[in-house]
Amino acid sequence: MATTVETTFRERLTRQPGPATKWLGVLLVLVALQFGAVMQTIMSTVPWGTIGGALPATAPWAALAGVGDALADLPTLLARDVIPNQGYQVPGEGWQGTFMGLSPAAAWGIRVSLVYLYSFGFVGWLGYGYLVFRRHYRAADWTPYDDMLGRLDGHRWGQFGLVVVLMFIVMALFAPTLGPTTVQSNIAEPFSHELQYFDENAGEVTTILVGEANLQSVSKGGGGRNVGPMQYDRYDRFHPFGTLPSGKDLFTFMVAGARVSLFIGLLYISLAAGLAVVLALVTAYYKGLADLTVVIAGDSVQALPQLLVLILLSFVLSDTWIAGIYNGGLLLALIFAITGWPYLWRAVRGPALQVSNEEWIDAAKSFGQRPVTTMRKHMLPYVVGYLLIYASLSLGGAIIGVAGLSFLGLGVNPPTPEWGRAVSAGQPYVATASWHISLIPGIMVVIIVTAFNALGDGIRDAVDPQSEAGSNEVAAGGGGA
Amino acid sequence: MFGDDVDEGDVLVSLCDLKTYYGEDSLLSDDPVKAVDGVSFDIHKGETLGLVGESGCGKTTLGRTLIQLEDATAGEVRIGDTDVTTLTGDDLQRWRRNSQMVFQDPESSLNDRMTVGAIIREPLDVHDWKTPRERRARVRELLDTVGLSEEHYYRYPHQFSGGQRQRVGIARALALEPEFVVLDEPVSALDVSVQAQILNLLNRLQDEFGLTYLFIAHDLSVVRHICDRVAVMYLGNVMELGPTERLFQQPQNPYTHALLSAIPEPDPTADSDRITLTGSPPSPRDPPAGCPFATRCPMKIRPPEYDSVDTEVWARVEMLREVLRERSNADRSLTERAREILGLSSRFSSADEVHDELFADVTLPAAVEDHIEEAMDHVRNDNETRARAQLREAFGSVCDEERPKSHVVDDESGTSRCHRHRDEHDEPSRSQVVSE
Repeated sequence: MATTVETTFRERLTRQPGPATKWLGVLLVLVALQFGAVMQTIMSTVPWGTIGGALPATAPWAALAGVGDALADLPTLLARDVIPNQGYQVPGEGWQGTFMGLSPAAAWGIRVSLVYLYSFGFVGWLGYGYLVFRRHYRAADWTPYDDMLGRLDGHRWGQFGLVVVLMFIVMALFAPTLGPTTVQSNIAEPFSHELQYFDENAGEVTTILVGEANLQSVSKGGGGRNVGPMQYDRYDRFHPFGTLPSGKDLFTFMVAGARVSLFIGLLYISLAAGLAVVLALVTAYYKGLADLTVVIAGDSVQALPQLLVLILLSFVLSDTWIAGIYNGGLLLALIFAITGWPYLWRAVRGPALQVSNEEWIDAAKSFGQRPVTTMRKHMLPYVVGYLLIYASLSLGGAIIGVAGLSFLGLGVNPPTPEWGRAVSAGQPYVATASWHISLIPGIMVVIIVTAFNALGDGIRDAVDPQSEAGSNEVAAGGGGA
Repeated sequence: MFGDDVDEGDVLVSLCDLKTYYGEDSLLSDDPVKAVDGVSFDIHKGETLGLVGESGCGKTTLGRTLIQLEDATAGEVRIGDTDVTTLTGDDLQRWRRNSQMVFQDPESSLNDRMTVGAIIREPLDVHDWKTPRERRARVRELLDTVGLSEEHYYRYPHQFSGGQRQRVGIARALALEPEFVVLDEPVSALDVSVQAQILNLLNRLQDEFGLTYLFIAHDLSVVRHICDRVAVMYLGNVMELGPTERLFQQPQNPYTHALLSAIPEPDPTADSDRITLTGSPPSPRDPPAGCPFATRCPMKIRPPEYDSVDTEVWARVEMLREVLRERSNADRSLTERAREILGLSSRFSSADEVHDELFADVTLPAAVEDHIEEAMDHVRNDNETRARAQLREAFGSVCDEERPKSHVVDDESGTSRCHRHRDEHDEPSRSQVVSE
């Protein structure tokens, strides 16, 4: 018998450990740079107190906890306090309190670049890991997925989408690090925080409440009442995107808003896509009455005008407990999911029905494969590609939808930052020197929605090379505010 | 629980009045499609039973019902003491190990997102066969058995030719060591050169593992090459069943006769004594009340009083009945049906044209003409059902009224369904063929 050629993954790994070791080495460097943050996560998320209480209170345990806390305090490469950008300029003495005495703009620029370098390094490490696995350790020399990735290789439009989407995700993940100031001190509770600046009239360093400083840094048209993009205000604070009409920092507002948008978008997409794919597989497998029921349910939901339902529900439910979770973000995601799943379900129903007629489904039935396993193994791989395409397209739609709702003053409650609210706040000043307030968030929404659509196009061309690019009937569907 | 104690040559699978109808439970259904309509025969252990027939005659449905991919409407599939049509749950699951199917289209029967190894291993995984390592070893052994090599384990179906893919399908069917394998046109999608290789492989496997095959095909030369016995199906019924050579050389049933005539003759000068069937089989939603083949049978029994009528004239009369029958089955839109029910009109107003075309160049005997004229009057009054009934009454025979029984027609217990096997009629033979 031919057991000699049988090798497990572990055997292939021990036979040729070089490439895998190199790959893990890169991981060590990446983790070391952020080791403090990793430890902090471990120390703060795991309920050590409870565990420690259950164990006998011995000296080694306490020492261990002390070590853990100390490790959590290690400086990390991407922390705000390693490269601080908040300081003040004293004439003749240069910048005080900033990273190596650089200007706040330069310090902030270095921090942002490092965040993006690190993130793309991490993504590159993942891709490199896949290639190492594929070249050295995978049993099959070729899989159908190789061809899909190969098709994405020359797809510039899709790659553009992927890069922008990654940048957006990094922006959301590292929001607290990226802003020149923090949401807490600048936007949420400006009157509970102070800042120091060099008062030229008094000729000395003075302390002032952030809220009062904000009132002197407003962007309300021209005449000295404007802080535009890449400008300093009179308290030596740097504003990459300028300030809001309230004097708050627009960039900090935007990165925090990215988090909100992404949270709502991803939650909506995972709920709707999960529901859509389960229903599509079940209806395609059983057909008949199951299919008819879901068709009627889906059509009924699709017959509702989505935007009106969104407005209505987010208004009606705005005083309930559910609207309090994540400042209404959860509620929005749920409403989007409930009204948006038929769109995704329709998109994957066709492929699901098509694959359900293949003979390998009959073959699986003939040797008694369980229906759930048949759906997962024999149908899902053919459907998931289409799901990704439409999920990507409607994620863009959801971001527009959320921005549209908050533009109308619905949805995410202030002071939680939301892009649409920035557009709305800047509306009176579009034609003045404070054009940046509406224009920058507006352009960002356009770029990100375009990027999600480009990514969807790329995935579609990779998954289904027969479908010609250009049939964009689904682009930017979904929320459509 | 399955066939282990059955000796070579004994009955392994026994079908008893098996019926599989489609579309009975649907909300908006008309009559069900009677894909398999009362089939009874035995399959002996170790034999290859061929199942032939035109497209749509129900042979694939029969095969699928045998391995419980379709639910039987009535009747039994008996294996030992078990009626497998009544099995459910765990019993059915256990039984499935013993009968497998090789599918027609190797492009569609293998999931091309899985490696060949995973495809062949799946039945073993489903039935928890031994340990995973032993399963992988078994898959390699199977790859070897069907003429592929072990390195193919981690290849994908895309990387194989049609013949190789069909070998993978066969390996998957054999994984659980079944007793009984349904081969659903296993070579019809392959090149002729590859067909022979696959057929030889199937023969070799049958000898090696003592398999019993139900070989579904429409290629008669392949059937003659590989099968021990052949069953001929028409419109959900088995018309004739017998040993291959006897059936091919001395077909007893008119339909077998017609089917065999369709085999192309390599020698163009050969004395051709063909039967070309006219029209198409009746709709399986509304099969004839009597013999399923009655509407197209060239040897149909005539009522005694018309025995003297000219063959050509009789053929025209039968054709008129066929035309009326076809028209009643033709698809009509909802509006047309509504108009008909309301008595407004039907789209069939060309009955006279049909009549003229059929009977313009022949002289009808008076007795025949009277009946036809009466029927035509009914047609003109938009009462085709009445017209059909009237024609059946006038010209119908036992073939139209009674389903023929199975008659033993050779000394190896071959059977044929035809009224002409009854003592009072002539045996079906070529002399009665109505030639075109």
